[in-house]
Amino acid sequence: MNRHISAAIIAVLCLGFFCSFTSLNDQAQAAPAEEKITVLTPLGTPPSIKLKNMAPRLDNLKGKTIYIVDNGYPSSDLLLTEMAAWFEREMPETKALYKRKGGFGFESEDPALWAEIKEKADAVIIGLGH
Amino acid sequence: MGIPATAIVLAEFYEQEKEKALQVGMPGVRTQWIKGPVWAKTREQLRRDVIEGNNPISGRPVMQEIFEKFTMPLTTEEKRTGEIKRDRGPETYTGTPEELQKLFLEKRFTDFLPIVLPTPERVNDMLRGTSHDPDEIVGKMSPTNTGDYFEYWTFTVRDVAVNAVMAGCKPEYLPILLAIASADPRTGNSKEAISISDNGFVGALVINGNIRDEIGLNYEVGAVGPYAHANTTIGRAWSLMAINLGNCGKVGTTYMGVIGNPMNLINIVIAENEEKSPFKPFSVRKGFEKGENVVSLFEGWGILSAANWAVNRWGTEMDYPQIMKDIAAQQGFLFGSCFVLSPPIANFVKARFGTIEELEEWLAPPPPQMPGFAKPKPATEGDAPAAKQPAPKMPAFGGFSNTSIIVTGGSNNNYWSAGGLRYSRSIRIDDWR
Repeated sequence: MNRHISAAIIAVLCLGFFCSFTSLNDQAQAAPAEEKITVLTPLGTPPSIKLKNMAPRLDNLKGKTIYIVDNGYPSSDLLLTEMAAWFEREMPETKALYKRKGGFGFESEDPALWAEIKEKADAVIIGLGH
Repeated sequence: MGIPATAIVLAEFYEQEKEKALQVGMPGVRTQWIKGPVWAKTREQLRRDVIEGNNPISGRPVMQEIFEKFTMPLTTEEKRTGEIKRDRGPETYTGTPEELQKLFLEKRFTDFLPIVLPTPERVNDMLRGTSHDPDEIVGKMSPTNTGDYFEYWTFTVRDVAVNAVMAGCKPEYLPILLAIASADPRTGNSKEAISISDNGFVGALVINGNIRDEIGLNYEVGAVGPYAHANTTIGRAWSLMAINLGNCGKVGTTYMGVIGNPMNLINIVIAENEEKSPFKPFSVRKGFEKGENVVSLFEGWGILSAANWAVNRWGTEMDYPQIMKDIAAQQGFLFGSCFVLSPPIANFVKARFGTIEELEEWLAPPPPQMPGFAKPKPATEGDAPAAKQPAPKMPAFGGFSNTSIIVTGGSNNNYWSAGGLRYSRSIRIDDWR
């Protein structure tokens, strides 16, 4: 008798455990994987780029005039006058002219200097880009 | 001009200048990279480190490379012409929220903090904040709005709304963001919050009008700090707009601040405490009606507590106008002076000056003094002849005459802030509702 009661209790417990397990398993299966969503790009739109021609190169620098243009960054006058001095010392057949760009700031224009360069220069060194 | 040229640039700017060269259509431009810095070095140091030194990138002699840049024939790539069409990439991204947070971080769409993901639903909800067409072009922005140094990206009302969502803004903040991002009618350019400059600038906003209370901007205790939802998210959105709509803040290419500036995260957002200020609101002094909703833009070094200056002589009898005058005399030439006064300090000032205009006139600093800035150094006897050629003097930026005074914050003590912020312009917010 006691054996029958024990077997019945064990059977009920097993059934309960099985039901609990399947229920948990169902819940786990019912929980969706993290849902995919769509978002908008946060970016602005860059412009197209028009490629420009680069100037043809020189055969050599002998007898040529190089304009060394100072855009006014602090101490660029020291650097670029030293560069002009280097040409005088090391390449005396090349004429190096130091020129201080007019106006203020890297963006400022100096039409008179640009016109002079167009007329007289064979090459240009400009500084300082920081 | 058809004349070969080379620019002398510090090697630290290599990545930035390569991108810049591409943007202007000359990706093969022959730049000469040198060892920096140049500023503050002696003639002898520059001769040794640069003229007789090597290109830090290639390891080859600088002057030899300059010679070759003028004489080596152009390569096929350098001769390439035509047009490079560009777009902004995919219009949408799909993934789990975790994947998208990671993707936005990797693509540098964020300020490195988690964002609110801009789903179409959230963006449409944000667009309720304005009557403007989502496809309307608002402006164009670059990492510096000075000239055309870097390319400008264009953007729409919807693009602004996307970034507003990401920053956590509410729809009622959107008109302020659109006003901030709108094109300056004088230049056609929008103002970036994060400048490319190696100085490490910060953007600042002053907001006046009834909108301060409508959206809950804080202008009492902690006014300039991140202590209210509107102040914090509006400031953050300006930086996210700069990053995503103007290509700003990318270290090495579009951001070169030597030290950096922590204020770039949420900028300086100042809702003026008009109610407790004894002076006319800032916007009224710029020609707007009292109560009119206006946002004013600034840029500069930033501000810090005036208590940091030695001229802020602590004592029982504080002469605040004199301290302001002494601080103004110490400000640099780029951005002039900016004073952010708490109401108690403003009242002390008011006791002596009836209007801000009177105070500004009295504060007018001395003539510019810029010792050494691009001023030609006298050549010495030992210098080569070319080194003796004179260089003309450089005029000032004119920032000395730029003084801004704003009143905000609490009345719980006599503290206030000062620094360098240059006023740019004021925009009517309601035009963007």
